[in-house]
Amino acid sequence: MKQRGFTTRAIHESGLREEAHGALRFPTYDSAAFGFESAEDMSDAFSGRKASHAYTRISNPTVDAFERKIAALEGGVASVAVASGMAAISTTFLNLLAAGENIISTASLFGGTYTLFKKILTPFGVETRFVLAEDLNAIEAAIDGHTRAIFTETISNPGMIVPDFAGIASIAAKHRIPVIADGTVTTPYLFRARDFGVNIVVHSTTKYISGGASSMGGVIVDLGNFDWTQIPALADYHRFKDMAFLARLRKEIYRETGSCLSPHNAYLQTLGLETLSLRMERICANAGSMAEFLSTHRAVKSVQYPGLPSSPFYDLARKQYSGFGGGIVSLNLFNRADCFRFLNRLSVVSRASNLGDNKTLALHAASTIFAGFTEAELKNLGLDDTLIRISFGIEDIDDLREDIAQALEGVEAI
Amino acid sequence: MKLLINGNPEEVSGVLTIQELLAEKKVADPDMVTVELNGTILQRQDFVSIKIKEGDTVEFLYFMGGGSEV
Repeated sequence: MKQRGFTTRAIHESGLREEAHGALRFPTYDSAAFGFESAEDMSDAFSGRKASHAYTRISNPTVDAFERKIAALEGGVASVAVASGMAAISTTFLNLLAAGENIISTASLFGGTYTLFKKILTPFGVETRFVLAEDLNAIEAAIDGHTRAIFTETISNPGMIVPDFAGIASIAAKHRIPVIADGTVTTPYLFRARDFGVNIVVHSTTKYISGGASSMGGVIVDLGNFDWTQIPALADYHRFKDMAFLARLRKEIYRETGSCLSPHNAYLQTLGLETLSLRMERICANAGSMAEFLSTHRAVKSVQYPGLPSSPFYDLARKQYSGFGGGIVSLNLFNRADCFRFLNRLSVVSRASNLGDNKTLALHAASTIFAGFTEAELKNLGLDDTLIRISFGIEDIDDLREDIAQALEGVEAI
Repeated sequence: MKLLINGNPEEVSGVLTIQELLAEKKVADPDMVTVELNGTILQRQDFVSIKIKEGDTVEFLYFMGGGSEV
């Protein structure tokens, strides 16, 4: 049967058990625990023989509905929803790694992810080897017998670097290690991760998926295309074959580290997912139009946006991301003071640290999401203190252009 | 045909694939179940080809409960 379109599936895909009252909107089961008819039923549930929810830290019907919808849209085996995007990344690596092992990460990264790898995993004996996403030879050279994964963002935040997934997946397959992609900024609508050789895709669902920054959340999707018997940390679960990653995640790491998604947030994010495609098209159109405008403005030193024909990543982004360039534009002004003047003059655009909202949001990266990073660390991440990140929303383009133009008129460099 | 399903003796008629057994026994959430046949976990893609035999031990397992036996 022909597969239905993304938006139709986002709305109608469920795989859910029947809802008691036939409600078209699956309800929020805001309950910590679930009761059982008998001690035998309870025992069967706890031994895994019965498909029952027992405790919301472990599973919940509303969260389950969200997980199934995401897994279906990604074409994955199954997914696990967690409390935030950072929980999705940390939980994934806790599931895969042991002391003495290492991962390869592309160097241009979100600050929180960099700190997780550099400051939190290192004391547990896990090394992260940072390499430039554009340098496939360096990625391969960094791999050794203890490497357990290659991690990259689909478009780095806020560096706007686009990795070549075909190239990375080819190297990973040769060395039998999985590719883990943070697809937050591209969403399942722009990027079909499985088609480009990704094995695990994670998302901060707080962003575009939540539909207006309504709630925190994250998700981990196993795309069902990796032989998990290659991963020593999953040894006790190798007998589950294609389900080994998810089996350990569900039975140990996810449940015992306690990063469960709240049912209320799962409800909001299921709702948000239904309109994802509509919002992404508008957001990408706004970002593309404003990137063109900014790239010719005399107060702007440079613009990084993979949807600009002048971007070195233009062709790759078009190929990988369904012809879209994403919703985030990074720009450099001439100095930090100008960045602050620009931000302070904005009125339609909000000064805020999130991305993927319906509202357009802007920030000065070095003093906010990278606050506390040294100059050398910023340089290694490909950043400096003249960078502003703008996450475009769904406002009318004329209002965005007028607001940003008037804010740029106030910078000293003009 | 006599089988041991989730520790309980049960009977089914005819030679069934695992996929057919899931339907016959009205197993909940068949898309989420993991099947163990005589101590070996089966790949989902094999559900349509592997057939059960007399005396087989079958476990239907989920990762939703609270314990860690799975």
